[in-house]
Amino acid sequence: MKKIEEINQKIKDGDVVVVTAAEMISVVAENGLKKAAEEVDVVTTGTFGAMCSSGAFLNFGHSDPPIKMYKTYLNNVEAYSGIAAVDAYLGASQPNRNPEIGIDYGGAHIIEDLIRGKEIKLVAEAYGTDCYPQKKIETYITMDKLNQAIMVNPRNCYQNYAVATNSTDETLYTYMGTLLPKFGNITYSSAGQLSPLLNDPYFETIGTGTKIFLCGGEGFIIGEGTQHATEVERMNDVPVSAAGTLMLKGDMKKMDPDYVRGASMPKYGPTLYTGVGVPIPILNEQIAARTAISDENITCRVIDYGIARRSRPVVRETNYAELKTGEIEINGVEIPTSPLSSYKKAEEIAEELKEWIINGKFYLTNPVEKLPSKDHFVKPLEIKKPSILIKDIKIKPVIIARPTEKINDVAKKLVENSINHLPVVDDKGKLMGIVTSWDIADAVARGKTDLKDVMTKKVVIAREEEPVDVIARRIDKYEISGLPIVDKDNKVKGMITTEDISRLIGESSRKNK
Amino acid sequence: MRAWLRFSPIIVNETIISDTMKKYDINFNILRADISPRGGKMLVEIDGKQVQESIEYIKKRGIEVNPIKKVVKKDDEKCVDCGACLSLCPVKAICVMDDWEIGIDDQLCIGCGFCTSSCPMKAISVME
Repeated sequence: MKKIEEINQKIKDGDVVVVTAAEMISVVAENGLKKAAEEVDVVTTGTFGAMCSSGAFLNFGHSDPPIKMYKTYLNNVEAYSGIAAVDAYLGASQPNRNPEIGIDYGGAHIIEDLIRGKEIKLVAEAYGTDCYPQKKIETYITMDKLNQAIMVNPRNCYQNYAVATNSTDETLYTYMGTLLPKFGNITYSSAGQLSPLLNDPYFETIGTGTKIFLCGGEGFIIGEGTQHATEVERMNDVPVSAAGTLMLKGDMKKMDPDYVRGASMPKYGPTLYTGVGVPIPILNEQIAARTAISDENITCRVIDYGIARRSRPVVRETNYAELKTGEIEINGVEIPTSPLSSYKKAEEIAEELKEWIINGKFYLTNPVEKLPSKDHFVKPLEIKKPSILIKDIKIKPVIIARPTEKINDVAKKLVENSINHLPVVDDKGKLMGIVTSWDIADAVARGKTDLKDVMTKKVVIAREEEPVDVIARRIDKYEISGLPIVDKDNKVKGMITTEDISRLIGESSRKNK
Repeated sequence: MRAWLRFSPIIVNETIISDTMKKYDINFNILRADISPRGGKMLVEIDGKQVQESIEYIKKRGIEVNPIKKVVKKDDEKCVDCGACLSLCPVKAICVMDDWEIGIDDQLCIGCGFCTSSCPMKAISVME
C-alpha cells in the first residue's frame, strides 16, 4: 500500500518510477504483479480524440461605454452570453452562422485559433440598460486581451464507446466519421489500453480534483461528466460500451496547439480534438493489475449506425487489438477499420505527462471526492408528443403498376387517381421500381412506350416502423417528393409523399391551437 | 509516369489512346476519368519503353498532357494521425506505420479524393 503523499515525496526526491499504460502491460508481464505494484509509482494514460462536448468560458472585459452582451459572435460563431455582462460560453460544436462556411469553421476552430494567438473578430449585440447603455460592439480580440479563457468540457474521456458501421445502401456522415454503405468500413474512437478511464475502471484513484494533462497544460477533473453511467455490462472489469465520463477544466492560456485541434466531421459538424492525460497512482496491486489491461482484453460492440434510432442494433463484439489490425470480419467479409482518435498523439501525451512527473514538474493530487461508481444510468429523453410512425398515418389505398404496362396506360392511371408517383411491382407485389409523372412526360418526349424502360430501379424507400421525421429527413436528403412504403418482405404497402407530410404538420399545428 | 490528360470536345470521337497504345506498345492505366460530350480529363499511368515518344504523339493529336510527380499530398502540420481516412481508401494506399503515424503511398493512390473530403482536419489534398 502506497500513499499519494509518498509518491509526491519520490517525485521531489527525483526517484519516482513512472511508466505509460502501454508500458505497464509488459512491466507486469515480465516482473509479475507484486513486483510491478511495488516498483511502479505512477501509470500515465492518454487520449486524443474528437470530444464534441467541449467548450470555453471567455471573459472579454468591459468596454466604454459598457455593454451587457446579449448575442455574441466570434468570427461569426455564436457564443452563449446569457451569463452576466461580458462572459460567454463558446461551444466546440457550434457551427458558423455564415451558411457558406457552416460546419467548416465553428466553435472548435475558434478555440484552436485563440490558443494559437490568432486575432478573432468579436461582435456583440445588446438591448441596452441604464448601467450598460452600449447596444453593439465590433472589435478584435486575442488570447492576451481576454481576462479569462477557461476550457470547461462537460463530457470528455468516454470510458469505452461504440464501434460504428453501416448496413444500409447509402453512405452515412456521422459523428463517427464517414460510414460506407453495406458494411463498407468500421470506425472506432477509444484509445483502448491507453484510455484514462479504462485503466481505472471503478474510479478508485480518479476523482473530483484530480490534476491532469489537458491540451498541453495542466487541468483538473471537476467531477463526473454528463451522461456518466456506471451500471453497464463489464468484461475483464472494463465496460463493453459507453460508461463513465469526465468533466474537465483547464486554463486555455497555457495550452499548446499541438494537443488541441478544431476539426469538422464531414457533413456532421465541428468538433474539438482534445488531448487528455490522467496519471494513475499505483497505490496497491489491484490498481496495478487494472492499469495493465491490454487491447485484446477490452471488449467493445460494433453498432449499426444505419438505424437512426436511439437503440441501434449490435452487429458483433470485438476488441481493440482486433480493431487495430486494420480489419475485422462481418458476415464472412473482412471490413477495413479506422480509428478516429490518434493513438500516436495518445502515446505522446502519456509520454509527455510521464516526463513532467519524472522531472518534478507535475505532482499528483488526492481527489477531494471520488467519482460516482454506482447507480448512474443515462436516462432517455421522453418526448411528450411521441413520434408518429409511418404505419400510424392515413395512407391512401396503394395504386401500383406492372413493368409490362404501356406508358399510355400508366399516364391514365396517374391522371385518374390524381397522383404523381406509382410504385412498380412484380407478380408477388414486391417493389421493382418507381415512376413519376415527370418520368412519363420525359418518356413521351423521347418517344418511349414501355414502362420498364423508364422506371427508376434504384428506389429510396420507407419502412412501416420508421418515424415520419426520419422519412422527412430522407426526402430532404435525396431531394425526392415521395417514397413507397414497404414491409419486411419488400411488398409495397403504400406511398408517402411530401404532401402527406405537409398535411400532417398542418393537422398537428391546428390541434395545438 | 503519371499525368493528367485534358481534351477538348472536338477530338472526343477520335481513338487517340488506342492508336497510341498500338503504335508505341505502352501500358496505359486510367486511374480517374471525367469525360463528357464537352471534353474531359483523365488521370493516367503510362509505362513502357517509348513513354516519351507516346506522350509527344498524344500531344500532337491534340491532348494536353500535364505530368504530375505527386497524386496526393498530406499536410503534416494539420494531420494529427487520427486515421479516419484509413478505412475509406479503396486501394489501401493509406497505412499505419510502426510508430502509429499515418502514411499515404503516392504510388498506390488513384486520386479518388475520398480521404480528402472525409478528413476532419482537411489535411489531405489531391493534386489537380
